[in-house]
Amino acid sequence: MNCLEFRRIALADPRRLEAEAAGHAERCAGCKDFLVRSLEAEARLASALRVPVPRGLRARLLDRSAFPRRPLRRLALAAGLVIAVAITLVIGWPRNDPLALAGIDFVMFEEAQAIADAKPTDAAVLARVAHHMGVSLPEQLGEVRYVGTCPFAGTTAYHVLVKSPLGKVTLLLVPERPLASRAVASAHGLEAAIVPAVAGSVAIIGGSGRSISRVETLLKSS
Amino acid sequence: MLGASKTAFEIAVADYLDDLYRYAYWLCRDRWLAEDLAQETVLRAWRGWSRLREARAVKGWLFTILYREFVRSAARKRMESEPAEALRSEPYGHADPALAIDLDRALRGLGEDSRHAILLQVLGGFSCAEIAAVLGSSEGAVMTRLTRARQALRRSLEPGETDREANEA
Repeated sequence: MNCLEFRRIALADPRRLEAEAAGHAERCAGCKDFLVRSLEAEARLASALRVPVPRGLRARLLDRSAFPRRPLRRLALAAGLVIAVAITLVIGWPRNDPLALAGIDFVMFEEAQAIADAKPTDAAVLARVAHHMGVSLPEQLGEVRYVGTCPFAGTTAYHVLVKSPLGKVTLLLVPERPLASRAVASAHGLEAAIVPAVAGSVAIIGGSGRSISRVETLLKSS
Repeated sequence: MLGASKTAFEIAVADYLDDLYRYAYWLCRDRWLAEDLAQETVLRAWRGWSRLREARAVKGWLFTILYREFVRSAARKRMESEPAEALRSEPYGHADPALAIDLDRALRGLGEDSRHAILLQVLGGFSCAEIAAVLGSSEGAVMTRLTRARQALRRSLEPGETDREANEA
């Protein structure tokens, strides 16, 4: 097997190499490196394709009316379980702030469409708005991948997508929405904090509390 | 023969439902249509369940049903003269929406067969021979489509990496 044949095979199915191809990679440093990079690219592709599955999908797919109905005893058991879980949630779950939760909902359900629909905003405009709000947007925040405007909480927000060292973070700068104190929410695997600014407020939505704390600290660094 | 009960059916298909939905999602680019497509697939699978003989064939069988159902629904849309652009790009809940948009654009740039082949392999974990069986194509043709699909996706999503490889070649 030569290098050209190996690379053709590796591009067709990098995760399922036959013994001859695997042997070639062991002997050829260039092809081994190519294989490693192919597997890394494959992992990134697989991760990007794994869109979240809607909540309750499995139950909906398996429980439609085309199937025979479940016995009542099992339904009663399920209902009991649901009530128990609901009680646990009401008693033990931390309260989500509605505005912070709206930030998470925006990221989950509207952000992509907002990016697709909106005309991107000039970075200079964002800098002016941030200055007016008394918010700092230092370079340490990370790579700003998108700036635009979007409707949020009944007013217009400046929508900023940041690729931070701790993962993707969404900022919603809302100059017209004053806030008395910091509030948080957690849902859909996302965390959000909404913090008061000199003028208006800023919603920070990310995948972890750590990434939000980091951004929050940097926003206040001016 | 496999167990004829609904429980046996549920156990057999449950592990594949998430990836089945994801496959449908990247074909339709609309979560509601994707769920409908997955639903129709499960209903058809249930109706044909008594005819299935081997447990290890379940995954390929489900994805084949979904692929055929998608092709049928796409043909119906063409007959209704619905423009292809009516299919929306909607990266619902993706952890990185910007990447999802880029990926969607890159996938749309692939030919129909290449798109099916790469989705079946990455999401379904199928071999070239298994994909050939789903698509009704030859294994060699599937290998060629996958090679071209990966090259095109890498050019679109990782231009720096592709340049580096071109320089090394």
